[in-house]
Formats: sequence, C-alpha cells, structure tokens
Amino acid sequence: MSFQVTIEPLGATIDVADGQTILDAALRAGIWLPYACNHGLCGTCKVDVIEGEVDHQHASAFALMDVERAEHKTLACCATLQSDVVIEADVDEEIDAEQIAVEDFTATVARMEMLTPTIKGLWLEVAGDGVAFQAGQYLNLFIPGLEQPRAFSIASAPTEPQLIELNIRLVEGGAATGYIHNELKLGDSLSFTAPLGRFFVRKSAPEPIIFCAGGSGLSSPKSMILDLLESGDKRAICLIYGARNVSELYYADLFNRLAEEHPNFTYCAALSESSDESPWAGFRGFVNELANERFGGRFSGYKAYLCGPPPMIDACISTLMQGRLFEEHIFMESFLTAADGVEPARRSALFKKF
Amino acid sequence: MAKDKRMGLKEKYAVMTRGLDWETSYQPMDDVFPYDKYEGIKILDWDKWADPFRLTMDAYWKYQSEKERKLYAILDAFQQNNGQLNISDARYMNAVKLWLQGITPLEYAAHRGFAHAGRSFRGAAARVACQMQSIDEMRHAQTQLHAFSHYNKFFNGMHGFAHLRDRAWYLSIPKSFFEDAMSAGPFEFVTSISFAFEYVLTNLLFMPFVSGAAYNGDMATTTFGFSAQSDESRHMTLGLEVVKFMLEQHEDNVPIVQAWLDKWFWRGYRLLALVGTMMDYMLPKKVMSWKEAWEIYWEENGIALFNDLSRYGIRLPKHHEVATKEKGRVTHELWSTLYQYGNALGLHTWVPEDEELDWMSEKYGELFDTMYRPRLLHFRAQEETGKRYFNNRLPMVCQVCQIPVFFTEPDDPQTQCVRIVEWADTKHHCCSDGCADIFNREPEKYVQALIPPQQIYRGEAGGARDIFEYAEWLHLVKDVDTGEYHGSPDHLNWEAWKAELPTPQANSDEAA
Repeated sequence: MSFQVTIEPLGATIDVADGQTILDAALRAGIWLPYACNHGLCGTCKVDVIEGEVDHQHASAFALMDVERAEHKTLACCATLQSDVVIEADVDEEIDAEQIAVEDFTATVARMEMLTPTIKGLWLEVAGDGVAFQAGQYLNLFIPGLEQPRAFSIASAPTEPQLIELNIRLVEGGAATGYIHNELKLGDSLSFTAPLGRFFVRKSAPEPIIFCAGGSGLSSPKSMILDLLESGDKRAICLIYGARNVSELYYADLFNRLAEEHPNFTYCAALSESSDESPWAGFRGFVNELANERFGGRFSGYKAYLCGPPPMIDACISTLMQGRLFEEHIFMESFLTAADGVEPARRSALFKKF
Repeated sequence: MAKDKRMGLKEKYAVMTRGLDWETSYQPMDDVFPYDKYEGIKILDWDKWADPFRLTMDAYWKYQSEKERKLYAILDAFQQNNGQLNISDARYMNAVKLWLQGITPLEYAAHRGFAHAGRSFRGAAARVACQMQSIDEMRHAQTQLHAFSHYNKFFNGMHGFAHLRDRAWYLSIPKSFFEDAMSAGPFEFVTSISFAFEYVLTNLLFMPFVSGAAYNGDMATTTFGFSAQSDESRHMTLGLEVVKFMLEQHEDNVPIVQAWLDKWFWRGYRLLALVGTMMDYMLPKKVMSWKEAWEIYWEENGIALFNDLSRYGIRLPKHHEVATKEKGRVTHELWSTLYQYGNALGLHTWVPEDEELDWMSEKYGELFDTMYRPRLLHFRAQEETGKRYFNNRLPMVCQVCQIPVFFTEPDDPQTQCVRIVEWADTKHHCCSDGCADIFNREPEKYVQALIPPQQIYRGEAGGARDIFEYAEWLHLVKDVDTGEYHGSPDHLNWEAWKAELPTPQANSDEAA
C-alpha cells in the first residue's frame, strides 16, 4: 500500500512507496529537503507533519525528542507513511511555481519530422482542453511494450495545449527511442502523464536570464523562451546552445528569427566536435566556453537555467560560479540517458542542488 | 476579508526575529565590532548568511533539557550497574583518559572561542549560531566529564584533567591547536573549528571515539556521543555556511580562505595523529584502522568536498598528498614515541598482543611487518627481561603542532623529517613542510609559543630537575598513573575484578 506526501510550502505531491522514507521519495522526485546524516541521528531533516500519520521508525531519541514527537515533528530520513500526509519542510517557497494537477492523457501522433540526423520532432495532438503545463516541465510517455514510461521535456509553449511537441534523440540500443524513431507512425495513439518536474522560470525575479542548453536539452529552454517572449517579457534573455556539429544544430532559424523580432533576445551557438570540417563561422568549443566569452567571465546579476547532459551542466556550473554566480541563481534540468554512460561524480553536502 | 496565507517556517522565523539586531547610532559599528574586518574578509551583505536551523532560544532550551534528562538517566543506570566492568579490557580506559585529558578541554575552549567569535560578528544570524554553539560546547564539556567521572573511581590517571591540561607536555598538542584558533580573528576561528575540524575532519575525530566506545562496551561515552550528535550536525552546517558565505560574498576572500584551509587542514591532520594512534593501539576491539579511516573519510569524502569547492576557485589543501603518503605509518611512529616517554604520560602504554599485531599486518601490510612489528617485538623482549625501555628525557617538539619531531620524510619512512625555520636570528624546529609553511606565514605568532620541554628544562615546571620530578609536578604517581600497562594497578585490578565477577547466569539467579 503506498501513500502520497504533499510537501509544503512547495505544494508538491509525490508518491511514497511502502517502506520508503519521505526524504528518499522527495530526493528521487527532484525535491531537495535539508538533510545530513540520513540515518536518524542528527535531526537536520526535521519536518512538521501537518496532516496524516507517519511512523518515526528508528529516529534517535536524541535527534527527535519526545516533545517534538508530541508536536507532530518527524525526521524525513526515517519517517514512512501510515496515510496520505502533508508535511511542512524548511525549504524556500517557490512563488513562481504553478500548481497544476498531474493527469493521464491519450494523444495522436499528428506530425513527425527529423530535426537533425539523430533528433526527431514529434507533435502529439490532445483532444479537449489539452495539456496544462508550465514551460520547462516534462511528461512521462508510455511506449507500447515497455513497462516503465520515459521522461521527455515539452518543447512547445504552454499557449498550445492541444499540440505537444517533443524532441527525441535516438539513443543507440535504446528501446524507447528506437521505437519512436523506427516504428512510430502518424496517427498512432500514445498515452502519457503530465505535467511533471520543477524546472521553470522564476518570472518574479527581475534578473536578466541566461539559458545554456546542449544536445536535445533544447526542449525546455525553447518552451520557456517562447513563453517569455509571447508574454511580452522585456528583460534581456540570452540562449547559448551547444551541438556537436552543424548537422546536429537545430532550430537555429527559429531562434535567429526570434532574435530579430525581439531586441531583448539573443541567440548564439557553439559546435564542439573538433573533427567537424563543415563550414561554420560561429564559435567552436563548449557551451560554457562560449558563455564565458559572451559575458566576459562575469555572470553576477543574472539568473541561469541549464538543460542538457550532466557533463555540460557540470562544466556550466563551474564556469558560472567562477564568474560569481552562485547556487541560488542557477536552475537546472539534468538528464541521464543510457548513452551518457557516466556515473555522477561523488558529491559532498556543500551544495543543495548541484 | 482575504484569506490569510499560512506563513512558511522560514517566513515565520524571519518575522519572529526581525529587528533583533540594530545599527548602532552612538558609536560607529566598526568600533562596536572591531574584529570582523581586520582579517581582510569582505562582507557586502550580512543578510545573505543563511540560517539553516532557525532555532529559537526557547526551543533550544527545551530540546537541550530533554537531551540532558535522557543522557543522565542512562548514565545513572550505567553507574548503578557497575558499567565499568562491561568494557572490553582495562587498556581501553587509556582511550578515555586521552579523551578526558586532550579533547574535553577542547570542548571548553570551543565554548570560549565561539562566545568570542559570536560577539565579534556584526551579522545577527552568525552571532546567534555562534552563541548556540558556544552553549553546546559548554554542555559537551560538562556531559563528557559526567560520563567519565564514574571511571575515575576505578581507574588511575583521571583525577586531574584540568591540572594536566595546563602542565602536561603532550597535552600542549591539542591545547596549542585551539589556542592558535582562538587567537586568530573570528572568521579564521570559525573556519578552523567549524569547517576544517568539525566538518572536513569530523568523522576522523568523532567516529573513532564514539564507535570505539560502542565497540568496547563503554555505554557512558556512547550515550554521550548520541546526545552530542544532534548538536554536531548544527555545528557542521555552521562550518559549511561560513565558508560558502565568505566565498560568495567577495572574490577577494577566496585566497584568504584558501590559506586558512591549507593551514587548518594540516593542523587538524597533525592533531588527528593522536586519534589515529588511539584507534590502532588503545582500542582492544578495533573499529577500523587509521589507514582505512583516512581512505574513507579523506580520500573519498574529503576530496569530493574539495572537488565541489573547486567551483569557487578553491584547490585541495596544500600537503594533502603528504598526509596520504603517511597514512601507513603515523600511528606506529607516534605509539612508539608515547611508549618511550611513558614516564611522563598520564596514561599507560604497552606492546600490543600478538593477535593485534596480526591485525596490524593485515591492515598495514609489508611496511608494518618490516618496520614496526620488529620494533614492537624488540620492546617486548626488553620488557620480558626486566628492561622495559623508557626514554627518561623529553623530546624536541615541533614549533607549530607541538608533536615531537619524530615523523619521517614523506618519501622515506626510514629518515626523520626535520625542518628548520628561522626568524629574527633564531632557529626553530618543525616536524614537516606543512608545519614549516604555517610557521613561515605567521612567524611572529609561532615564535611566541611556549614549548613545554624547553620550559620544563628551564625550571618552569616547579623547578623539576628530571622527568620524575616533572611527573610529580603533574600530580602523576609513578607506575600508578604513568608507565607500563602490564603490572600496573589498573591492569591488576582489572584481572582481579574479572576473576571475581560472577557469570551472567549466576547473576540472574541471584536476582530471582
């Protein structure tokens, strides 16, 4: 029997499996809660239980005192659920996060187009009101024959709820992306769950924005930029995109056009493959190197949004921090595919998000 | 009326504590807080100091008093039930003596240091965090003393820890460590104690003692450890926060913080030689070897932390590779030093049992078998012929860490490592490049260190003329509090108590 926990003040509701701790469920859902020892001894992960019942499990009597148990506190690293539960944790409220209920949808494949030799654009038509989502979020797509759904970021703007665009890179040997690239046909029906994820633009923060995207990590930034520009946002917005070579560079025309139409938007791209001999007058190197060049190595006063494979995100974080932009101003969506094949490096408790 | 939105925890705390500090108007702020700028640390906005615990004083008292009640209930039960008989072996008590003599006074020093640092910061959140830690540290000193006090009725060498702290040559190692920190500015103090010591090296300090206590049947110390751990997490967070805060506030802070991390990594590492030696030699039931602990807690966790710090432009602390090169030998080198100077120690030393030597072979490999086992066996052979070896002089100690200058060259475990530094036409001795670097960065500071052996030989130890008179001045009784373990009253008492001790079954029959 599994229950759900709602985490205030974020308002996020997530599933917690039988025997799973609140902390584990939250971290796996991409929600950071304060914690340290992770086994009930230090008390860093203490939260208030506002509704419902938890089992404190083996929380130390010194880390979770009787008076605290009486006051409905618990340690997220130990507590399991006895019912649906609402907790309040000591995390920053996200005033720009829209609370949109997750729903199941069935859609029809309305259009397919190869955007690059490896990335396929997929447009899914949804009947009725369509899919409500916040720019930057993703959906979980069910592939016929595969038990686990696959996560794909939505590339279209929220103003087009009935036609959802996904950009899907073919992963070598990948069952899901192989199906989408090789077997999926126009008119096929697909089901998905949406919207998911907590990657979104902090619109209430006034700072100008830098987007750094790599590979098929362009989807979320594309949706976010369309959303910002459509809503008439006048702050400076810069998209820095990195691809391996010219043939993998996509939507350059779209972004160049947007840059002409909107003086507050700039676009630039970097190509990373050194063996690439195609003509390219632009920057050669990695996204973070291009960012460094564009901004003269100084990023303080901006908000940065990063989306792409883990090594790109990692390099960008280092570059941004050396340019004096720190954790509270950096937001990211990192995705791992089988193709990345990299174990995330061992990390300390120094950073919350990285 | 519009529905009131519930305030988040963070917001509530902000409202509760808003305006508790203020800008002074009769006196310039710089006169009121004279110490938080002279180290060169630039703070643009004190409000950026994140206060991760948001603990009010009211809640703090409530939690701490409940912790005390629990701890003392367990200590009572421990004492009523003759818990001293449950330890693995009386040799274990020497780990407790080392803690009592060396570490407990540091808790008290930390209490003073954090009170001073708290007074010095003009940011209210930093001030409150230091204030609470100051009170925690006082509590830790007191509860440790209470946890250990029962053992004082049964074992020797525990009667005068405060007296020893100010007089014993080997206790100047921990004492000088803390006094170095306390005589620095407030930012360096918090970096050294909260970050370098309590965060980076904490697992190498706390784990060996508390896990060692648990493994060796010491319920009093284990329970103290649990009661302190919930405070320690707050202290570690303060350490992380202060370093991030300095690094994010101004780029000019980066090289200053780097220099402090270099210094306090090495100072902390040198101090831990005592802890490592305790782990390898004083625990009859071993938790893990110093070498293994170093690999897990520094080579894995510590380096991961510095990889993260590299995003701020911070590199690994200087000489960290030397510490790693030394991991197979420091504890053996230090134990044989303590063994020799046993007539001037408030604890016992001995040659480990055969199975312990085998454990060391397994953990330390060939280096142990070729270099340290033969020496230990030689000591044992001498003891068996009635010629237990003592070096009845006092060693030359390092001008910085105050550990005897006995460590070996980083790349040659057969050659003593001595570095001579010079300042104002006077030569001073250091044990390593790490300590020499620390000296050379602030020679004016370290030439002021009172080096115990020199002071003792100058007659400053109550006029003691030799090591035996010196031990008397320490209030240590020869061969009771000092010297060889085998044949000591602690050893003989333990054997007698164990021989008399009824078996557990007999005990429960009596109770029935």
